[in-house]
Amino acid sequence: MRRRPGIGGLQTAAAARDQYKKLGENVAKIRTDMMKEQLSTFRSQLEDFARKHKNDIRKNPAFRSQFHEMCAKVGVDPLASNKGFWAELLGIGDFYYELGVQIVDICLATRPLNGGLINLQELCQLLRQRRKSDRGVVSEDDCLRAISKLKVLGSGFEVISVGKKKLVRSVPTELNKDHNEILELAQGQGFVTVDEVERRLSWTSGRAIDALDTLLDEGLAMIDDGHKDGKRRYWFPCVSPISSLTGIDSL
Amino acid sequence: MAGNSLPPVNLTDNGRPVLLPNEIECFFLSGVDLLCEDEPNSWFPHLKSGLLILTTHRLLWLPDTAVASSSSASAVHLSSISHIFPNKKSLKSVFASRRIRFQVSPETGSRSVVVTVVVRGKGDFDAFVAKFWENWRGRAWEESEKVASSSSNAVAGAGSASSGSGIYSSDGTVRMVGVSGILRKEQEMWESTDKSLQDAFQDLNALMSKAKEMVMLAEKMRLKLLSGSNSQTNTTNDEEMGSKEEMQELLLSVGIISPVTKESAGALYHQQLSRQLADFVKVPLERSGGIINLIDIYCLFNRARGTELISPDDLLQACSLWEKFDVPIVLRKFDSGVMVIQNKSHSDEEVFTKIKALVMKPDALRAGISPSDAARTLGVAPAMAKEHLLSAESKGILCRDVSPDGFRFYINLFPEIDRDDVYLVKDQGIYPSWVRAIPALG
Repeated sequence: MRRRPGIGGLQTAAAARDQYKKLGENVAKIRTDMMKEQLSTFRSQLEDFARKHKNDIRKNPAFRSQFHEMCAKVGVDPLASNKGFWAELLGIGDFYYELGVQIVDICLATRPLNGGLINLQELCQLLRQRRKSDRGVVSEDDCLRAISKLKVLGSGFEVISVGKKKLVRSVPTELNKDHNEILELAQGQGFVTVDEVERRLSWTSGRAIDALDTLLDEGLAMIDDGHKDGKRRYWFPCVSPISSLTGIDSL
Repeated sequence: MAGNSLPPVNLTDNGRPVLLPNEIECFFLSGVDLLCEDEPNSWFPHLKSGLLILTTHRLLWLPDTAVASSSSASAVHLSSISHIFPNKKSLKSVFASRRIRFQVSPETGSRSVVVTVVVRGKGDFDAFVAKFWENWRGRAWEESEKVASSSSNAVAGAGSASSGSGIYSSDGTVRMVGVSGILRKEQEMWESTDKSLQDAFQDLNALMSKAKEMVMLAEKMRLKLLSGSNSQTNTTNDEEMGSKEEMQELLLSVGIISPVTKESAGALYHQQLSRQLADFVKVPLERSGGIINLIDIYCLFNRARGTELISPDDLLQACSLWEKFDVPIVLRKFDSGVMVIQNKSHSDEEVFTKIKALVMKPDALRAGISPSDAARTLGVAPAMAKEHLLSAESKGILCRDVSPDGFRFYINLFPEIDRDDVYLVKDQGIYPSWVRAIPALG
């Protein structure tokens, strides 16, 4: 189309704009249609996959974690909503959401003992005891995924790493670096004394006492003044090698 | 003007229909008209532009709350439908909105009429038609009657099913008996796991490569969705709304959460979930004094559901939709990050007045209040009481006292102390009451 001056030119330009606009709308519509078509092919492929491997996903935790890793690489979140294809066809949504509910229960029940911090291994063990009758094994990876989903609800569910161990936090109190270092130190024997903290971490006594007192206030530490040498010991049930499994059987 | 002799649908306060026992919702369609084209018509009303819900027992039509319509929610029981006309694919039907016709006869004995369902909104029409036929043929309402009357026979029936002997069980599989059975079971399990895992990994790879293409397309859609809502300001006609909702549904089914934008209210699923949640939350809210932790609701709701649980993201999306609907509850986030659901009527001012009254009592002036005292007075959980005390403190009403005895809160006296004359005690006010309450200090 040659550009023409005058009214004719304006009319041609207007007509061209209209045509481009219609083309643009059509392209958008084609894209939506294409998306829908892709979606239905994908869905049928997923159905085939589900028919053959649904049980594998349920029963085999290694396969499950592989599945999740691949989903993460691709950029989909199979646990995002219960209405998605993944939950509908593979049924893994319910598995994780139920796990989440059970984890919340266990954390609440053990809170009087450990103040809201529980060892991940202990949590998995309690979980397995609870789910004795259910089909399928629950791995630590499953627990981690369920907890990462719970984070959205704002009550402070998080997994923190202290040294070699992983702890699950279920209260909104923030733990700063000092607290983490004390917890790491406590992993050895399950308790620390003020002297030990000062010596090993080279802190001033004020700093050590402050941190220990905060942990005490939050309920994460327990005091033991009964030792022969008279020094006060601070015990941390969440990292101690003595597990507190007895008494929780009635969950 | 046709009269309305259709049975009405009871709605809860939040706009959700009350279902019959054993009735399950199967399909939602928005933008649906129900009209009867026969003349004369004395009993079937002309229902325009509403939400159609197909359940196992009925077809429910709910008016669109955004459009002020004169019709009320009505239901057509599937048992009163005598015939569904198959869809004729003609040239005309390609251009017009999708429609399906069925013949329905009323309970009161007027003539049966042919009703047309016109679907103007977006939605999977073919799936709806298939489900409609299925539910109509399935006659779930008759089964519920049968179950009710034959519950006495069920006990007798169960006894006979458990008997059965021999190595082959009733469905032909080899029964596992004895030690050989156990060994055979183990071996089968090993074989099947090995083989299937190989296949499984291959299939998984193939699936994921397909998923990658999907995701790229979906990302483009999502950007279009976000940019569309920012640029267009006034031109929100039905077409656009429908397509936006559709796109969000597509994204959701693949597993990409799309945000709730100002115009579109997210997938239809989340809208319905939001209303359902509003109904469910009422009772626990009353029990816990008007405020409840979000994570508690998550556990309660999922436990009540049993199957088809919701994800935490679903819950969050549903709660954030409450501001669009007219429900009396809100989602609220405290400074510490704790999220709660509370009644709109449960205002902060009320709580602060109560706390103030509590803290001004003589024992409280002397010894302060702890979160458990506050919990008892306010009638809420101790964790919630602590949040309230903390927010009162940040407003300047209370002061905290941290001691080996624990965490306690006192009334804040500092505003009343004059900085130039620190020892001056006026005759009226909180400071003098405090002085009076404390026994002789000197």
